[in-house]
Amino acid sequence: MTEFKLKILTPEGVVYDGMAESVIVRTTVGDKGILAKHEPYVAALTIGQAKIRIDGAVRIGAVSSGIVEVTKDQTSILAQSFEWADEIDVERAEKAKALAEERMEQYKDDQRALDIAEYKLKRAINRINTANIKL
Amino acid sequence: MASGNMKDIKRRVKSVESTMQITKAMELVASSKLRKAKLRAEDARPFFDAQYSLMCRIAGETENLSTVYTRHREVKNRLFIVIAGDRGLAGGYNSNILKLVQQTHGDDYSPKIIAIGKKSAEFFTKHEYDVVAQFPGIAEHIKTADAADIAQIATDLFTKGEVDEIELFFTQFVSPLVQTPTRMPVLPIDAPTGGAVPENKAGTTYDPSPEAVFNRVIPKLITSLIMCAVNESYASELGARRTAMENATDNAEEMIASLSLMYNRARQEKITNELNEIVSGANALN
Repeated sequence: MTEFKLKILTPEGVVYDGMAESVIVRTTVGDKGILAKHEPYVAALTIGQAKIRIDGAVRIGAVSSGIVEVTKDQTSILAQSFEWADEIDVERAEKAKALAEERMEQYKDDQRALDIAEYKLKRAINRINTANIKL
Repeated sequence: MASGNMKDIKRRVKSVESTMQITKAMELVASSKLRKAKLRAEDARPFFDAQYSLMCRIAGETENLSTVYTRHREVKNRLFIVIAGDRGLAGGYNSNILKLVQQTHGDDYSPKIIAIGKKSAEFFTKHEYDVVAQFPGIAEHIKTADAADIAQIATDLFTKGEVDEIELFFTQFVSPLVQTPTRMPVLPIDAPTGGAVPENKAGTTYDPSPEAVFNRVIPKLITSLIMCAVNESYASELGARRTAMENATDNAEEMIASLSLMYNRARQEKITNELNEIVSGANALN
């Protein structure tokens, strides 16, 4: 397959910088597949999974919100966090999930704290799900 | 020149020594923390750059985009987000960035301030600026939620029309020895000037619409902008502190050396005097 340049960046560093064959990401309006020579495109990402085909093998990553941008030269995923499925610390994610659930109970009246806890819970669940996907 | 002087010198040596111990310890702490902070700042930089250029590009490509974030208005009120340290003893780190703020507005106008870091908050409160919000003590372990709070306050002020321009002041970490106070416009977002607009202009599809993407993305971009700026500044602070403390330790060493010289001279003088007394006393007996 024709390859294109893909960059995955997070505030913690560069996750991937190389060639890819296809990318599927979850945007705010649904899943979006990107192949080589895709038209210039920008969309916001929600919490979800990214499926990326590199050298014929599909790798899956857990993404929390961000942006995907396709230009003529390259595709970039700018995410708040991005973790490959095989690098996810499931134990930590389980702990984060339990903590977030506890927080949601605790801060029932504080909308902001509730939002944060809910966001964290979604992220933790996404990471657990991502880690459990068998290819 | 008697024992009184020697005692004084000894006391001073002791006090310089204990100061030196403190500066030495601070230097060590700063350099070990610096290593971590530097990595964090450097790791975030590609993300920061990519986001900022994307933000400018979207604004440039969609000129007739009707969103509040790109609209330039007559500038009546300005908001400065100023990041400084939580502690002093960091050489020129705090004063440099605060000086830059003062130079920027001069006597022409007084900006509204969001102060990040204790020193920044103290300075602007003392000088009676209009401090909208202050966030002391968050730099070391800044979380996305903190940065999101700050971004929220800033964008709210902007969208409500209470401020017409937002600028970010932080210290860029160039190397452990070099830190540059920097001023960065945040809102309204400027279209890239000159030839920076790519030729595939207007070809970009925004899903579902440019406005939707823009309005969703901008607060996030500003959040990470603030987050990265805080990380940069924190690394700069540690770098500046390490250098300052290193100099202080060196100075203390020098001082101790010259004081011990003085002490030895005084001691020598005392012995000579005593000998003289003994000899002249013996001579007088003869």
